[in-house]
Amino acid sequence: MTDGPTPAPGLSVEREDVSEEELRELGVDTSGAPASDFKRYPVLSEGGWYIVIKNQKTMETVHKEKWTLLGPVKLVTDGLHIA
Amino acid sequence: MTDLGVGKTPIKDLTDAEFEARYNCDRYTATVLSNRMRYIVEHMCTNLLHHAFSLILRDWYDFAATISGPASMNYPMSTVSNSLVLFSGAMEHAVRNAVEEYGPENLKPGDVLMVNDPYRAGNHVNDICFIRPVFHNDELVTFIALRAHQLDMGGIVPAGFSATKKDVYETGLVIPPMLAYENDQPVQHSFHLIFNNARYCALLLPDMITIYQNLLLGERLMKESLERYGADAWLGAINYSVDVPAESMASAIKALPDGVYEGSDLVDADGIDDTLEYEIKVKITKAGERLEVDFSGTSQQARTSINAGVFDTLTAVGVALKYVLDPKTAFNSGAYRNVDVVLPAGTICSATPPDGPVFLYWEAAQPVLLAIFKALEPAVGENAVGGDYGSLSIHNGHGVLPDGTPWVTVAQCGGEHGPWGATKTGDADSYGGFYMANNLDPATEAIESELPIVVLRKEYVPDTAGVGYNRGGASVLRDSMYLTEAHHTSSPVHTKRSSGAGVHGGKDGRNGATWLFSAEGGFDVAQRKDLIPVLDPEAYRQSTPVSGMLDPDTKAIDVEKGEYFWFGANPLWHTKPNDVFRYITCGGGGWGNPYTREPERVLVDVRDEYISIEAAARDFGVIITGDPQKDPEGLQIDQQATEARRAELRAAGMA
Repeated sequence: MTDGPTPAPGLSVEREDVSEEELRELGVDTSGAPASDFKRYPVLSEGGWYIVIKNQKTMETVHKEKWTLLGPVKLVTDGLHIA
Repeated sequence: MTDLGVGKTPIKDLTDAEFEARYNCDRYTATVLSNRMRYIVEHMCTNLLHHAFSLILRDWYDFAATISGPASMNYPMSTVSNSLVLFSGAMEHAVRNAVEEYGPENLKPGDVLMVNDPYRAGNHVNDICFIRPVFHNDELVTFIALRAHQLDMGGIVPAGFSATKKDVYETGLVIPPMLAYENDQPVQHSFHLIFNNARYCALLLPDMITIYQNLLLGERLMKESLERYGADAWLGAINYSVDVPAESMASAIKALPDGVYEGSDLVDADGIDDTLEYEIKVKITKAGERLEVDFSGTSQQARTSINAGVFDTLTAVGVALKYVLDPKTAFNSGAYRNVDVVLPAGTICSATPPDGPVFLYWEAAQPVLLAIFKALEPAVGENAVGGDYGSLSIHNGHGVLPDGTPWVTVAQCGGEHGPWGATKTGDADSYGGFYMANNLDPATEAIESELPIVVLRKEYVPDTAGVGYNRGGASVLRDSMYLTEAHHTSSPVHTKRSSGAGVHGGKDGRNGATWLFSAEGGFDVAQRKDLIPVLDPEAYRQSTPVSGMLDPDTKAIDVEKGEYFWFGANPLWHTKPNDVFRYITCGGGGWGNPYTREPERVLVDVRDEYISIEAAARDFGVIITGDPQKDPEGLQIDQQATEARRAELRAAGMA
């Protein structure tokens, strides 16, 4: 028995800023919302992993593209190339 | 009218022509084929249950079958069998990830692909996912998958179940996507790879052959439908099958108030020491018809094998949402259409290799489900569901019979079965698989006839259920006596706090615990010809605690003032003949205010020993007279005293 257990440190998903230029290049209709309302981050959903851009106030997904099969998970053999 | 967040007209609003344009068949055909798919997976599972050799398949139902569409459709998983829920959400991704890595263009008729890597496919290494590509007119049109637990997959613990394995090298053999069968012939080197690493291969081989035969059964049934209706209708029916729960989930989400809902749950400790607890945090943002389920803030991965992988967590999210939001339609990949899961890599519910070992993955996935229940409780109101017993507290033992034959018990003699939480519908059952399992309970006769084990007790414990207008299920107690020397791993990782959270005004169930009673110097059941008492605290003085909040003197459960005894203090228990393990599960959570429960229902609970006379007065405000032991049918409600007590409670704002 040891006194004083503490919760193991938490980890978080980083939500990246998106610039107005990026949104414009992606053809996103922001409906007048500033670029600061939008963030880019990975999500797991029907069909696998995606990188989405969402309006953080309305949670509307304005851009969505497939990511890798395993998303953020790296296998110990990733990058292994046997010629 | 809803657009379901995906820009589609709801299915029921489609004209016949629109329906046919969307699904390449009429409504009747889509329904017939959708039901046919369910028939196929259920037929496969029933057949495997009847013909499996190992106890984990035959007696536990530790398998599931699914149907998925082809690569061109991104592998929609249309159909999931009514079997092990833990497999169900992950199998969409197991099929996609295995086929994509192997290359769909490399698959031929007669192939069976297999994969067991938890990080690629979810679950743990013993759960091999066998995938059969089904061809029609030389085109690969669909996949049928059967994932089934193999009794052993190597690693440092026979049969594998342990919470103290430290990395992927200790958990067992990892199989990347590779062929098990080619041209309907077993791939010799694949089988050698497994059997050179795994134990109990005399059971694994016939199980694997049976699994293969059931894939053939599924393929044959599928081909009958493809011949009759054509591939276009079949694939249209796959889309129809996933659109139905996508629509119903979207509608259920839409009905929730917009807002942010947060919940959490804790895992007691990992297998290194008890200095760290592991917290699962969930923040659910609901806007319109969409949910975002964010696990940011969740504890880093554990140092031993209690972690879950990302696809296990995804399963837990989907299953939790089905329970509390949309329980009436089938569960398949469509349930996730309007749900985004935000999940940082490297947490206890998204472990990564090689140092985030995954084996008892449900011990992290089930708390994910319970955290979501807690988060959504204020949003769903009376539809809230009480927490269940939460942890399998799984027991894994092995030894050798006098004639030299090795034996192994897995998930038969621990706390694998227990109570559920109550709902608005009524009291909870006290004996079943937890919310993420839906498995069978191995029969006592099967255990005792095949193994040197005597099941001494398998019963409910009074005053452990979470009280409420509807009562949670009672804790299950199981005493198992081992007749030979043996080694055991015991993994009760959720005893510090009860998992059985009460909801809608109901109260929590009581914590569980585990002990070892040695025959020598402890309590020798065989010599005394008597069972170990349950309710007498003095009985526990002779035990060795395994896990629980216990009085350090008597070692009986003391939730309020007791100390936590850590399950990992002894990673491998060695027992002598006639030693007994006792497991008590957590109790299930209650639903609603217990002081409003009809006195007649309380009386029945006292008669049936779910609650004592004292608890009836204290927790329900119902005064009962009589002796439940000697004259259970003579018990009576003291109407006057009960009305007076409840009037007091009402005056105090409690009833």
